[in-house]
Amino acid sequence: MTQFVFATAKYASGDWESAPSLPEAVIDAVVRYTTIDIAPTGVYVDLSSHELFNYPFVWLTGHLPVRFNDEERNNVKQYVERGGLLMIDDHNHDITGQFHKTATEEIERIFGKMTRLPKNHELYSCFFVFDDGPPNTHHELNGYGDDLLHKYLDAILVNGRIGLIYSSKDYSSEWNFHAETKKFMQQDPTKFGVNLIVYALTR
Amino acid sequence: MRSLAERARVALECVLRAVVLAVLIWFLVRTILVQRHGAVEDATSASIGTKLARWSTIAAPSRVHVRIDHPPAGRDRDWLAALSGASTDVDWNGPKLVPTAISVEPRIDPAGGADVSVASPENAMTVLADTLGALDSAKATRTGVRGYIPKFRGIVDAMVGPVVARAARHDSIELHRLLVIGQAGWEAKFAVAALEERGWQVDAHLIVSPKGDVHQGRIADIDTAHYSAVVAIDSSAARYGDRIANFVKQGGGLVLWSPAARVRSLAAIAPGGAGTLIADEGEAVPDSAPRSGLELVPITALNPDAIVLEKRGGDVALAARRVGRGRVLETGYTNSWRWRMAGGADAQARHREWMAGLVALVASSGHRTVAAAPSDVAPLVTLIDELGPSKVSTESSSLDPAVVARWVFALACAALLLEWASRRIRGVK
Repeated sequence: MTQFVFATAKYASGDWESAPSLPEAVIDAVVRYTTIDIAPTGVYVDLSSHELFNYPFVWLTGHLPVRFNDEERNNVKQYVERGGLLMIDDHNHDITGQFHKTATEEIERIFGKMTRLPKNHELYSCFFVFDDGPPNTHHELNGYGDDLLHKYLDAILVNGRIGLIYSSKDYSSEWNFHAETKKFMQQDPTKFGVNLIVYALTR
Repeated sequence: MRSLAERARVALECVLRAVVLAVLIWFLVRTILVQRHGAVEDATSASIGTKLARWSTIAAPSRVHVRIDHPPAGRDRDWLAALSGASTDVDWNGPKLVPTAISVEPRIDPAGGADVSVASPENAMTVLADTLGALDSAKATRTGVRGYIPKFRGIVDAMVGPVVARAARHDSIELHRLLVIGQAGWEAKFAVAALEERGWQVDAHLIVSPKGDVHQGRIADIDTAHYSAVVAIDSSAARYGDRIANFVKQGGGLVLWSPAARVRSLAAIAPGGAGTLIADEGEAVPDSAPRSGLELVPITALNPDAIVLEKRGGDVALAARRVGRGRVLETGYTNSWRWRMAGGADAQARHREWMAGLVALVASSGHRTVAAAPSDVAPLVTLIDELGPSKVSTESSSLDPAVVARWVFALACAALLLEWASRRIRGVK
């Protein structure tokens, strides 16, 4: 049976490799809390390649403007429609920033307007329970970026399932650390990453 | 002394008088026989309608012979059978008729549709049609024609040459839910997605950790009142093993991914065991043979009563068997999700259809009889059943008595006129 592999998207524009330790931290959490069969290391997958379709969960992040080329756009559309889950996270945590503006433009160009996920969506309760919706990040609480607390995630739904999540919460900064660091933390911030993966694998 | 010519004329006159006498005697005997036994008449496919009316009203033939180039309509066939039952000897022949039969079984699938099987001679072109027109056509193989019709209206006709076999839907299906059990993973996720997209109501128990699993729906007792089939993706179905085995014996269906056959309680009902994984290469899944690009855990050590449904190379990929009142289907394709994700343009729909097809092969359902249009599933068989086997007519075709009388009168007149003329030429009155 196929192992889960944490895949990070490579795209032609921008800095797709901006959170290199994030996969390790999330994989650590999945191993720590679940019996999900997961590969010990992540992979990078080119958004314009057919290889993308071998990874039904893909993380996409960056700080710089995002402009998909035609192949990337077509692949992203097909990927989401076929049941893949693309998680796009604004590494700037800034809704006036270039990543946010261009990434949301690209999403709306491909899929139309995004839906706001309610706080009681099963994404927040499928494994760990987050009563108040998406957990806040230290970058939000400390006033970096746009100095806002983003209370919701946006999404593209396909047949009632989430096909794409757009986050302004900057989990890419929050989870971009060596997994060993967790032992110095009171709370494991990557627990919501487990929910993302459990949701992707079960819904 | 009479000349030779005159003697010949006299002989001719005797012959002509004898002909007239013979014709009159034949006509008299025939008339008596027809009155006593009735006439022998025949008909063709084109004339059978009017002939039947005649045979049942103004004529009472002792025997009728029907030469047909297509099976008579049910009304005409029954009418002929009624004539036969009313002591008219009815026989028929139709060298162009092709033995054809059709079976239409509603598929246990929320999308509806039906599985159609047509028995017809090898290489015969078979056209399937419903009330709105042609649906599909195919050349018959040694086992006839088999196919799936997604939608049809009322009846399905199988047309093979001049023969039309007709089947109607006689019952409707009452579906229950499906239960999917497996480790949280792509195969389970996409199996649930495909079945839900197809219209199934799916409950699922997906194992995530010892502390908490993902449940979809409210998992009820595993019995045929709640579930049509259970889908066991992997060995995590072990926790339901005995209940699943009982469910199948009661008449439920089970679709088993071959690794789940390693569970002891499921191994007892599985068509076979699980072999060694043949990994895929991670390449794009080809449109032409999508399952050739998937990883396979071959089905091994087949149970003696298992039936192989699909092989890939020398490996068994799909097998099924009956267990008690239920059925179990085992698939060796353990990452069919790649077909949906990495296949061609219509891969999602084809994967969905394939997945629904696996379930349809084993799922149980309730049936409710519905009013159905008249059908004629095997017209030639019914014809033989009602009228007996085909016979080649050994008698010349019977003639219309009026026509016979006209011919007899004309022949007698001609013979007498000739005889009279001969005598006049000889100078005899």
